Amino acid sequence: MRVLLDDVTKTYADRSGHAVEALAGVSVTAEDEELLAIVGPSGCGKSTLLNMVAGLLAPSGGSIAFEGELPAGRPPTAMVFQEFALFPWRTVQTNVELGLEERGLPAAERREVARRVIELTGLGGFETKYPHQLSGGMRQRVGIARALAVEPAVLLMDEPFSALDAQTRQLMQEELLAIWERTRQTILYVTHNIHEAVWMADRVVVLSRRPGRVLEIVPVKLPRPRTEAMLGEPGFVQAVERIWTLIKSQAREALREGAA
Amino acid sequence: MRRVVTAAVLAALVCLATGPGAAQPVQKLKLGVLKLTSSAVLFLGVERGYFKEFGIDPELVYFQAAQPIAVALASGDIEVGATGLTAGLYNIVTGGVRIWIVADKGREWPDYNLSALVVRTDLYDAGVRTLRDLKGKKIGVTQIGSTFHYNVGRYLEKEGMALRDVELVPLQALPALNDALTARRVDAVATAEPFVSRLESSGAGRVIVNTGDTFPWQIATVMYSDKFARDRARAVAFMRGYVKASRAYYDAVLAQKSGPAHDEVVRLTARYTGAAPELIRRGLPYQDRDGRLMSGDVGRQMAWWHEHGLVKARLAEKDIVDESFLREALKNAGR
Amino acid sequence: MTRLPVPDRTRALARRRHPVARVLGLLGLVLAWEGVTRTGWVPPLFLPSPLGVLAAGAEMLTTGELAVHIATSLRRIVLGFGLGALGGVSVGLAVGVFSLAEAIGNPLIAATFPIPKIALLPLLILWLGIGEASKVAVIMLGVFFPMAINTYTGVRHADPLLIRAAVSFGAGRWSVIRKVMLPSALPMIFAGLKLGAGTSLLLLVAAEMIAANSGIGFLILNAQNLMETTKLMVGIVLLSLLGLASHWLLVRLERAALPWRAEA
Repeated sequence: MRVLLDDVTKTYADRSGHAVEALAGVSVTAEDEELLAIVGPSGCGKSTLLNMVAGLLAPSGGSIAFEGELPAGRPPTAMVFQEFALFPWRTVQTNVELGLEERGLPAAERREVARRVIELTGLGGFETKYPHQLSGGMRQRVGIARALAVEPAVLLMDEPFSALDAQTRQLMQEELLAIWERTRQTILYVTHNIHEAVWMADRVVVLSRRPGRVLEIVPVKLPRPRTEAMLGEPGFVQAVERIWTLIKSQAREALREGAA
Repeated sequence: MRRVVTAAVLAALVCLATGPGAAQPVQKLKLGVLKLTSSAVLFLGVERGYFKEFGIDPELVYFQAAQPIAVALASGDIEVGATGLTAGLYNIVTGGVRIWIVADKGREWPDYNLSALVVRTDLYDAGVRTLRDLKGKKIGVTQIGSTFHYNVGRYLEKEGMALRDVELVPLQALPALNDALTARRVDAVATAEPFVSRLESSGAGRVIVNTGDTFPWQIATVMYSDKFARDRARAVAFMRGYVKASRAYYDAVLAQKSGPAHDEVVRLTARYTGAAPELIRRGLPYQDRDGRLMSGDVGRQMAWWHEHGLVKARLAEKDIVDESFLREALKNAGR
Repeated sequence: MTRLPVPDRTRALARRRHPVARVLGLLGLVLAWEGVTRTGWVPPLFLPSPLGVLAAGAEMLTTGELAVHIATSLRRIVLGFGLGALGGVSVGLAVGVFSLAEAIGNPLIAATFPIPKIALLPLLILWLGIGEASKVAVIMLGVFFPMAINTYTGVRHADPLLIRAAVSFGAGRWSVIRKVMLPSALPMIFAGLKLGAGTSLLLLVAAEMIAANSGIGFLILNAQNLMETTKLMVGIVLLSLLGLASHWLLVRLERAALPWRAEA
């Protein structure tokens, strides 16, 4: 499934009624089975972009389209949230089943699908636990499981590991890539961590600060599966430097302005 | 001649000024009453200064019901109370706090009915005319343990019935009884003047039993708090004033049912209570001219309450009645 | 070189459990109370002895009198509380979810909520009579408002992130209400239930003091009229027991219904 963003703009009114331009004409195409990372300084609109692909926000201008085969019963997108967004009153099992409920699957089938995904994401044995009983890393595994359960054509990940500590974060990145090897969706991966973006992605879209537009799309010429050894390779280091150079001045200006 | 007259007048004035009242300093006390016609004898006594003659200046303290007066006597908030006898009063004494019943202040008496059993007009028209017809029906009273409760019990017993043959509905206040009967939420009410007359004149109810005509009883008395009773001198002094008031009351409104003296008491009572004169005329209670109590009736009441489980222990009359103040006041009191 | 031990600075602030003192404190009070009544300083009218209260209670239990009063009061409270809670949650839900209902409902609730329900009692008696209807109605009204307001607040404070997540997985309006808003509101609903329990007890007693011939409120009023202070104390003890029991029940219910609340 390809995702085509054509000159997407977004303007909204802030609390005092002033028009704020969040995105100023973003054009990007995510290829089938590609892991496309999106980075940029704070306030560049990367989350807004993701929400629009998910259908939670409407673009003010331009268009967003999907291109490809979509088997019946599979939604075009499913989202993984930075703050996990799990239902505290549901167990791991029933949290994972949420999307399947909305798809209208009968209970027995839901349980079966959920069970498979729970095994896949390493949650086996935790089915009856409540979110408050889980660590941050485990909770996000549930978030990922929930999204994978509905077998979306495109997986949308909005800074999925930003709320985790650095060590867990790294482990989760590896796990996600391992899972992705098996499930192979197109992934749109928003992050503010450049190292993470380069290490995970096939290409990295670099956005400017508000109003966000594409500064450059940096390709990552590293083979898969990615290993820790690659962190020192020139392909990796150069990509990171290139992206940081693009972002640094933007970030500095944003810092001075104090715009969130 | 003129000098003699002047001297005589002056002497008389001096005598008046130095009469028995002026010799002692006038002592204040609190007298708890209800702001109803039934307190007429006390309004009369206070208005005409009968208590002041004996060195007592009563301050009238108004209450909404009989029970709070008993409670105020128990706690010593008031020294003298004049109101109806309730089971609650007897329970105060069995509970270890003394209150003394010292004089008559109102009896249900033939031809002087204070309370009655009033039946709904529609039921009356349908043939409910006696207690027997009220079997199983709802009778409104103010409170359990009230004089109205006692009335209903005695009405029933006279017919060979018992309290459990009817359903007593306590409605707390007298006006509520009228509302309930008018709205047909109860079948009959045991109530007092002026509410009885109001029900009849509004057509909401008809009287089927007049208490005084059916069985006379000692419904209200003058009472002393224990502390006041120990102050012999003042207690007797108050009683002297009360005897004077009682006699004046009797002569004016009980010995006759009309006349200028009668009218004057009615007017006086109207001023104190704000009620209409016609209603007052109907609600003036009977009492003994000298304020003597109905012999043995307090004992009979206590036995009845005890029998019905509403007073914990049996009391003897001597534990609660003390007519010695009255007897002493009546000595040298003439007629 | 001298060594300096590190002082324990929070020692004085440490809170200890004092299980013995807790029991002794209450027991001591009751014993002292019993002792005072035995000396005869205070007439039993003013201060009934605890043993006397217990004895009176036991006697009323054996004669069945207590059972009648408790049963009557329980019936009224359960009915009034149940109806009020049901009504309150429904209205609170509607007002929280639908903007039109909110526009109409909020001002109405704000206007009628501050009216002390006890003050409405004589009006209710006028409309509904002196029987059970007016008593159940006043309890119902007293419970309705905290339930409606709490449910509304709970629904409005549903985490918007969770709503977004549900929508992102395809949930429509009714799904969001059922799966996000209602469960989000449950803690506040239970808080409202606990509040309502206290209010309903208060209103029960008030209603039973105006026009009743059975029930715990009636028992208390009757004992007051008859100056039977021992029975009065029995009634008061019953009331506090009822309050404790309903609170305990609600806490257990909450724990069962909200198993995910780590602090419950």
